[in-house]
Amino acid sequence: MSVFTRAIDLLTLGSDRPIRRLIAYYVVLAAVAAALAAIFPAADRLLLGRGITLPEASPIVLQDALVATESTADALGANSFTELALTTALLLLGTLMLMLPVSWVYMSARREPGHSQAVAQTLLILPIVVAGIVLIVRNSLALAFSLAGVVAAVRFRNTMRDARDLVFIFLAIAVGFSAGVQTLAVGAVLSLVFNLVLLLTWRYDFGRSALAPTASSQWREPLATLATSNGNGTVPDRDIVLALTPDKVDLLADRFERVRDVLGSDRKKPRFNAVFSFTTNSIAEAQVLVQKVLDKMTKRWMLDEVVTHSGKPSEVYYLVRMRKAVSRDDLLTAIRARAGDRIGSAHLELGEAAVEQQEAV
Amino acid sequence: MPRRFLAVLAGTLLAGTACRGNGNGYSAAEAAELSVRAQRLTQKLAAASADSALGEPLARWILPPTMAEVSGLALLDSTRLLAHNDETARIAVVDFRRGVVLNQFSVGETGMRGDFEGIAVAGDRIFLVASNGTLYEFAPGEEGERVRYAEHDTRLGKECEFEGVAHDSATASLLLACKRVLKGDESRLVIYRWDIGRRALVPEPVISIPVEEVIGANPWDALRPSDITVDPATGHYVLVAAQQRALIELTPGGEVVQTRPLPDAHPQAEGVAVTGDGILLVSDEASNSAGTITLYRWPARTSTRGTP
Repeated sequence: MSVFTRAIDLLTLGSDRPIRRLIAYYVVLAAVAAALAAIFPAADRLLLGRGITLPEASPIVLQDALVATESTADALGANSFTELALTTALLLLGTLMLMLPVSWVYMSARREPGHSQAVAQTLLILPIVVAGIVLIVRNSLALAFSLAGVVAAVRFRNTMRDARDLVFIFLAIAVGFSAGVQTLAVGAVLSLVFNLVLLLTWRYDFGRSALAPTASSQWREPLATLATSNGNGTVPDRDIVLALTPDKVDLLADRFERVRDVLGSDRKKPRFNAVFSFTTNSIAEAQVLVQKVLDKMTKRWMLDEVVTHSGKPSEVYYLVRMRKAVSRDDLLTAIRARAGDRIGSAHLELGEAAVEQQEAV
Repeated sequence: MPRRFLAVLAGTLLAGTACRGNGNGYSAAEAAELSVRAQRLTQKLAAASADSALGEPLARWILPPTMAEVSGLALLDSTRLLAHNDETARIAVVDFRRGVVLNQFSVGETGMRGDFEGIAVAGDRIFLVASNGTLYEFAPGEEGERVRYAEHDTRLGKECEFEGVAHDSATASLLLACKRVLKGDESRLVIYRWDIGRRALVPEPVISIPVEEVIGANPWDALRPSDITVDPATGHYVLVAAQQRALIELTPGGEVVQTRPLPDAHPQAEGVAVTGDGILLVSDEASNSAGTITLYRWPARTSTRGTP
């Protein structure tokens, strides 16, 4: 497998971009199939719906049905047990290789975190079972009816959490069918097109309502306001704000969103109600000293983020739940007293709930 | 683990390929078996009564999977038979007396695909007919060869759906049996003639008789011939119909000599041929089991046109 991974890395020049890696996977898979077909001419028959059965070299001595009984192999259309077993093994292996990228896409390309492990495993197993069933039932009406009877006796009921999961299951069945009728080429194209379309819709957030603003568009305006000198307070790093690229605005917007989720007025009893930040050149030592003060003077705290910079002090952010009896200035003074020689600037930003609390006191 | 698995897979594939052998000649056991088969057929042929009823089959050869879609039959000589596939223009030369596929070749350099329904031999030329009436002419090929072909449009594609072709040496022409009349009276059995010398169609059907007359007392609503051949002993036209499991014998003038059901062992009779020494060959396309070629004793009749 490491050879396979190395080949993909070579093709993508080590890129982590999912679409590139996915295309590289299919290219490598196609190369393996082509090599297999070149070495064993029978292999390409699996891709094109003709089965692995080779035209035998003549002369072929035929069996007399009046003298010997017809064998099962004749009925199935395979020459020997080896051929039958090989056909089945190659088909199932091919199915697995085609469904692997589908399961990766299933696990990765989603806006909301979390996926069902059961569905991910089903995506690999289901097409194998479907292919096996089609291989057995093929050309036999009697077996098809028997299968329908057996399936009717078993209840399959499962509510999918996401409608898209159902589409993945349908794809798994389709690939299984393509393998069952020995037309893996159709399954391969199906798998490739499905994955590409899904990744593209995920990449461009297809289907999002045009009226629903994204996080970055929500924060772009406030950031621009911050950077504008309108006499309403000072902007310490105006040039930095102006120099933000769209990607950085996105990152910043994500952070603002997170902080707002914690401190915002939406929550009735926020777990934290303030953000404490400081700059330092010796992160570890400053953290130890600051955290001792936080232990003593706050209800609870949590390290939120450490942003390191080269050439200038790093920034450390804590989410804090303030005690009613401790004011903003008390906390900042205590921290200055304990860790003043280790930290540069220190800020305590109170959320709305904390401001109300302080005012009440 | 994956490396070991791939190695085993590759090894098994190689072994499977090697087990098929190179196909040059027969093993001692096979040679002995073939000798026995030839004797057995001679004995059965002599013992079978030459009355008008089809008796027990003389032999039934199970065809390999590559010939599962066997369709038309045509005699190359007294021991060799040509059989072709329905969907691919792949021709097999079969020693029908001993049950051996002697060699196989394909028509067209890229391996043609289509709806091929019948085959006929006229001297050193072979003709394959497609369901739309197109004829493909070519010479016999060697093992694995892809032979070149010439295409003739009979312009009957809109008139008929064809399922059989036969060579009529008496008129140096090909007989084209119409399975279904697409334009005109559907209740008639129609056979066209294509002049080999002029490479052209004879405009009017050589035979056009009411289907009812052919069916006679048999319980069939229709009759859809699936192949035609000419009995070399009598010059009669012998047809089979897969759907009705029917065997029909007509004189070149269109008189019905006999119409009878085929035995049950013929799920889909797609080809027919008759030898000079009285063997009727019927090919069946694979349905639930493999494709077959069955041999029967064919009633000997007084020759009306001499034995070719």
